[in-house]
Amino acid sequence: MEKQRYERPILKKLEMGMPGKFGVAANLPPTTHIDGISVDSLVETYGSPVFILSEKTIRSVFKRAKKAFTTRYPKVQFAWSYKTNYLNAVCRIYHQEGSWAEVVSGFEYDKAIANGVQGQHIIFNGPDKSAIYLEKAIRNDSILHIDHLDELYTIIELTEKLAKKPKVAIRVNMDTGIQPMWDRFGFNYENGQAWDALNKIMHSGKLDLVGLHTHIGTFIMSPQAYGVAAQKLADLAIGIRQKYNHTIKYIDMGGGFASANTLKGFYYPGSDTNPTFDDYAEAITSALLNTQFTPDNLPLLILETGRALIDEAGYLLGTVIANKRLSTGKRTTIVDIGINLLFTSFWYEHKLTPARHYSQYTEATTVYGPLCMNIDVIRENVNLPLLNKGDHFVIHHVGAYNMTQWMQFITLRPKIVLIDQDGTAHVIRENETMDNVMNMEHLPAHLK
Amino acid sequence: MSRIKALFTSFIRGILNSYAQVFFSNHSLFAVFLILVSFFDIYAGITGLMSVIISNTAAYLIGFNRTFIRRGYYGFNSLLVGLGLGIFYQPSVELWLLVFFTSLLTLLLSVMLEGVIGKYYLPYLSVPFLLGIWMVMLASRRFEALDISERGIYMFNDMYALGGLNLVKVYDWFTRLALPDSLEVYFRSLGAILFQYHLFAGMLIALGLIIYSRIAFVLSLAGYYLAYMFFHLFGGDFTTLNYSYIGFNFILTSIAVGGYFIIPSRYSYLWVALLTPLTIIVIISAGTLFSIFQLSIYSLPFNVIVLLFLYILRFRERNLGSPQLVVVQHFSPERNLYSHLNYSGRFNPALPVNLSLPVFGEWKVTQGHRGEHTHQHDWQHAWDLEIVDEEGHAYSRSGKEPEDFYAYGKPVVAPADGWVEQIQDGIDDNAVGEINTVQNWGNTIVIRHTDSLFTKLSHLRKGSFKVKEGEQIKKGALLAQCGNSGRSPVPHVHFQVQNEPYIGAPTLEYPLSHIVHHAEDRQWLVAWDVPVKNDLISNIDRHKVLENAFHFVPGQSLLMNVSEQGSPMRQEMLVVKVDSLNNQYIECERFGARAFFRNEDNVFYFTGYSGSRRSVLYYFFLAHFKVVKGFYCNMSIEDPIPVDLFHNRVLLFFQDLVAPFFIFISSMYTLSYTRIQDQLSSPVITLNAACEARTLKSSSGHMDFETRIDEKGIKEFRVIRKNRVMEVTCI
Repeated sequence: MEKQRYERPILKKLEMGMPGKFGVAANLPPTTHIDGISVDSLVETYGSPVFILSEKTIRSVFKRAKKAFTTRYPKVQFAWSYKTNYLNAVCRIYHQEGSWAEVVSGFEYDKAIANGVQGQHIIFNGPDKSAIYLEKAIRNDSILHIDHLDELYTIIELTEKLAKKPKVAIRVNMDTGIQPMWDRFGFNYENGQAWDALNKIMHSGKLDLVGLHTHIGTFIMSPQAYGVAAQKLADLAIGIRQKYNHTIKYIDMGGGFASANTLKGFYYPGSDTNPTFDDYAEAITSALLNTQFTPDNLPLLILETGRALIDEAGYLLGTVIANKRLSTGKRTTIVDIGINLLFTSFWYEHKLTPARHYSQYTEATTVYGPLCMNIDVIRENVNLPLLNKGDHFVIHHVGAYNMTQWMQFITLRPKIVLIDQDGTAHVIRENETMDNVMNMEHLPAHLK
Repeated sequence: MSRIKALFTSFIRGILNSYAQVFFSNHSLFAVFLILVSFFDIYAGITGLMSVIISNTAAYLIGFNRTFIRRGYYGFNSLLVGLGLGIFYQPSVELWLLVFFTSLLTLLLSVMLEGVIGKYYLPYLSVPFLLGIWMVMLASRRFEALDISERGIYMFNDMYALGGLNLVKVYDWFTRLALPDSLEVYFRSLGAILFQYHLFAGMLIALGLIIYSRIAFVLSLAGYYLAYMFFHLFGGDFTTLNYSYIGFNFILTSIAVGGYFIIPSRYSYLWVALLTPLTIIVIISAGTLFSIFQLSIYSLPFNVIVLLFLYILRFRERNLGSPQLVVVQHFSPERNLYSHLNYSGRFNPALPVNLSLPVFGEWKVTQGHRGEHTHQHDWQHAWDLEIVDEEGHAYSRSGKEPEDFYAYGKPVVAPADGWVEQIQDGIDDNAVGEINTVQNWGNTIVIRHTDSLFTKLSHLRKGSFKVKEGEQIKKGALLAQCGNSGRSPVPHVHFQVQNEPYIGAPTLEYPLSHIVHHAEDRQWLVAWDVPVKNDLISNIDRHKVLENAFHFVPGQSLLMNVSEQGSPMRQEMLVVKVDSLNNQYIECERFGARAFFRNEDNVFYFTGYSGSRRSVLYYFFLAHFKVVKGFYCNMSIEDPIPVDLFHNRVLLFFQDLVAPFFIFISSMYTLSYTRIQDQLSSPVITLNAACEARTLKSSSGHMDFETRIDEKGIKEFRVIRKNRVMEVTCI
């Protein structure tokens, strides 16, 4: 018989009166396995901390999202937002599922090409596109989403050199009734900047205006904002047809769909309250179907959703380093995952579950990372079972941004493991080594 | 000048066809054979030709339908009368005068019969000839100026007159050939159709018959020998056949019933077998009756039996396909058969409207036709559609609320253009699992597509209608949302086709025009589909470039630059045309070739090809035999090519002989959607087609094609055939 685990004694205030509707026990269901592989064995094999990605989840979430749109609108195309997670393995899963690539830098552009994406299926977004990469993109027939007039002028200059008619769209920002209003990308709808840019494009005669793009914000909790945005882009498209007899081929609604994470300050968990793909799809497609587009002239609807597609598929596995008590008496747990790896803990109340069963007793705890920095807090306050040193736990919904925005700071970055659809684990990114970091450094002679 | 030339061409065609029409043909070579045979008796030949010319010219001057004149419809009865008169009487001015008036009489009789029995969809066959010749025969007995001819009785005299001693010797040699009696009579019977009772005539006609149609030739033998056997069985007097060689009645009846008016098949042959004894009865009985007036019955039995049979076939209510009447006459049993196989296999010509699915995206049929729940009795032809995820569930979360179902709230769109006939709204959604049997259709919309074709969509969401009654709607227009009202335990769309505008009307079996089926790792296209339970289906998403490339407008011309093995060969001009029957075709005037096509919403097809295969049009036709106008990378379409349009002629000859029973050669067209480049601004689509001829399943030759299409249309295509490459650029 296995030796009973030691759990430290706790003192807990006895709640009198009516019990809450959830009862008194707060059993946190543990996450013992991910896609059939035990968390303990994953940590044992690949070390701690380690990022785990589930291919099965990636694909099924993608299909769910696609279905939400294709059953409401006849022409839909997803473009994988590289910045969300540009691990080659991840990108290729999305490309296999039919996604194009949406990139925002030369680096991402090259990565998309290296992943076998045809130039014509790369959407080049972002405020910083160097002339070199613009030229490359034009030669590859990629689609340029123009962010500002300076970029527009650069592209027009390039056309003279390249003797090609680049495919362009403009990025439009607008008031969709939500705060904060993102007006830093592209041209404003309400004050006429967008029409100004469109007129310049059409009058130049050197660019092929193929689409309209907007990126209204991030983690948008109100789907209706997308409805407003779609309506405004459709108005522009119809205006262009009336004014120039030119048909816009697509409307790109950008990204910004909320994932199942809980934003800080929200009381109910995000998985229960955040809008679903169906909510966004309903808002966008019904706005488009109710415009003046005739059924056989509907523009292609492009979506650059990143976060909502991948968040759910990512897990971060870690180990308890120590437990200690603050001066206030508050219990804290120190873990080997810091904000250098879990950037998103700045704005999410990440769901954190133990990797094995515990008794029903929990204690309000602050979870700190291992960094020697005061800001290294993973959860300010979370009811956790009584974890001991060396116990494993799982942080959920970390698939988006963490594997691109993480930093090499104080510690080295860990491995990333993908569990494929058959339940086999593959390392898709090695952990950093001392050499990786040192190799990039040069020591001036006088310091040797 | 060109008008005179055209008139002259029509005139010659009219003459040739008047001869060929005797055997239901429009085959020029066959006509030449027949003219030759008719001139075996030079005077009869002359009177025959005279009567054709008189008839056709008179028909033209009076102002009858020129197409019919050109097809020989008005000439062949006069021809027979003319030949008959020419044989019976010695040539004289009086005879020729008589021929003139008899031809006129026969023409008038033809036109009258066309009007009288034409409205019962009956052909007048050789009834005008019968009436004409009987009247003349009875009347001319009073014309003293006419001398009875002895020609046609003393064969050797005739031969000597025609070709001297040598011909007599040749003929003598032929008669000494140990031909079985029956075969000899067969040839004589064939010759008797043109009043030439000798072997030569019959043999030449038989040869022409083989050239014109193998099926007709086999039928002629079949009809004849069936009668021969029947006579033997009943101990009948075969001399009845022999005397004036009235056996041609069996031959003509057999060709008419077996392959000309009926699509050749085992059913048509069965009917030939059933009708032959009836023909015998008519021959004997009519012969007895007519002998009173000393008249020959000529082709009366054939006319009686064929008209009787064609008339009664129209009264069928069931088994319309066995045997199947010829709808579009191609003047050849082979072409009738192959064209029928082509049409019945590839199209559904009876459908006035092309229906698509009334939803966007991929849906699952959860109850098909004759379903186990509600699609029964009068309402058996309907579909219930739901959306399912990869695990096959129709809902997420608990599935206890209608909102949990994927289908709920999804757009429902018009399956075809039409008008909103009726809307029923205001019925609340049921809780999941419950049904409303009082307002069982729930919120419903009925759309009128034609005056007798309606579609009905039911169980929609209350208050979600985006259209109003009477509104005109385009295919794909948003109508309402899927709901859970009426007799609907879970949210789904009920889709049915009906003949009446009412909610609750009986359903009509009517297929969807073209839809895409989905399975785990592949998708395929089904034409004229009635999807069944558990099918995952979606509409074709049309691609503008393909839509534009195959949108041919009458008057449009396509200039093709042809080069072979890299060296320029020629230029050909193809012109898109449309005829008075709305058949659209592309014509190559230089080679006189035509490729007929149909352009529907989602699909472009070529339906047939006629004329020389040397034209580039032939390759154009094969390369784009059927193109679905949506781009689905790596999806391929298969479609059978009519065997007579792709196989080599030797093989086809043998196929023709047994075609009504057994098709052993086939040819298959496969189109693959290979590539699309630059999808958004100036897309270029590459299509790869292959035509493969198969003989008894093994490949017996094929051609490959590659077409590149851009926004302006078809840019170029390549033909690869036995390592030879032909490149065609469209300018």
